[in-house]
Amino acid sequence: MHEAVHRAAPARSVRARHGRSGVLALTLLAGLAPSAKVRAQETVWDPIEPVNRAVFGFNMLADEWVLEPVARGYRYVAPEPVRRSVGNFLANLRSPVIFVNDLLQGERERAGITLGRLMINTTLGVFGLFDAASTFGYLPHDEDLGQTLGVWGAPPGPYIMLPLLGPSNVRDAFGRVGDWAIDPLNNCCIDTDERLGRLGGSAISEREANIEVIDDLKRNSLDFYATVRTIYAQRRAADIRNGAAPPPGGQENYEDIFKDEGTEP
Amino acid sequence: MTHFGLSDTTSRRGALLGAAAALLLSSRSGLAAIADASATPREFIQRLGDRTVQILNEPQSENARKLQELKRLLDEATDLDLIARLVMGRYWREASETQKAEYLELFRALVMQTMAERFSWYTGETFEITDAKPVDERDTIVSTRINRTNGKPPILVDWRVRKGERGYLLVDIVAEGVSLVVTQRSEAAEIIGRSGIDGLLAEMRKRIARRDAGRSPTGT
Repeated sequence: MHEAVHRAAPARSVRARHGRSGVLALTLLAGLAPSAKVRAQETVWDPIEPVNRAVFGFNMLADEWVLEPVARGYRYVAPEPVRRSVGNFLANLRSPVIFVNDLLQGERERAGITLGRLMINTTLGVFGLFDAASTFGYLPHDEDLGQTLGVWGAPPGPYIMLPLLGPSNVRDAFGRVGDWAIDPLNNCCIDTDERLGRLGGSAISEREANIEVIDDLKRNSLDFYATVRTIYAQRRAADIRNGAAPPPGGQENYEDIFKDEGTEP
Repeated sequence: MTHFGLSDTTSRRGALLGAAAALLLSSRSGLAAIADASATPREFIQRLGDRTVQILNEPQSENARKLQELKRLLDEATDLDLIARLVMGRYWREASETQKAEYLELFRALVMQTMAERFSWYTGETFEITDAKPVDERDTIVSTRINRTNGKPPILVDWRVRKGERGYLLVDIVAEGVSLVVTQRSEAAEIIGRSGIDGLLAEMRKRIARRDAGRSPTGT
């Protein structure tokens, strides 16, 4: 469900570009960014920050005027079990893309779990409305092409704030397009309206689930844009590691922070 | 909107929320018993977490009192001044003594405020320690899983602790890959880069004033 967002990329027009050529272009693009490696982790590479900030401002307005009120309304009218089922249903729709990305990352076991989840939840779980698989111990995880590219070694490239879709970077933006293109549902079964419905539904469902977090972040951030940017970068890095702790010494910049105490002695 | 993406990443499955809640809360728990020079990092986190959950679960106690206790825990179990310095990063050296003093004070006030707000998020989460890995001779990362209610998936949280004379102290919390120190440091760098250390202090003061003006969080 969380990934619904990724669906937003313009669909078929870009389809031809998915796969190898996209990856190549991406790697090249990202390769132009030698500074990205040098920079301390806390500084996300954001060469078009003024543009991004403007887009962010627009997104905030759109959220304030449309998405947030709708999400609050949704919370008001739909009881928790219903909302959970909606979330489950949308998550189940994402399984095929997760499965493909598990495979692309060479994660056989996780691919098996994803496939098992899809089958169990679609049948026992009544078309995905219930997460029956979790009760059998098959817990959900998420993958997308941006993560796959990351696993393959593609650097994130410059940070990009996408209109309506939120934070991204060059790698993940390519990933979105690719995910949209490889999604079997888009290819076989659902038309444009249904895709938009799915996208919108996911946005509302996700927004509702995160009302408190977002309120809290807004309230406690000194610079909300900068907060979102660093959280996005950190989350994506963690997603690519599949939640594993950063390997000791593998995240130099993070370690550096704790070596330099910024103080005397 | 932003939040499509935000929801997407910040808090996948609402993860950060629970994590932040459980953690930030727990982080501030530390009692005399917790600062124990002979405890291992694992024991330290176990006690810290147990004590936090215990305080949160005290049914008879007033919210204001719970908050007081949590604040005391926070004081004892974390190296807030170190965290504050790490957040300011290289700018710390450029700050004047007056700026440093004010910054430390504001930082502490903001942390306490934030805790007071997140306090109410606790809904019966439990935690278990899954791992403890030394990073270097001083620091250890203790990994925990926060189990949530309502069938929500668990959240993975790492606690970075540093050995001091009186035992371990908490120096960072990493919830689902998002580090408290890195996040705040990034924000501080952005603001200082734009408007200097005084700009950061002004922003912090403004934030505190706004909060004071708005709701009055329990017990603050």
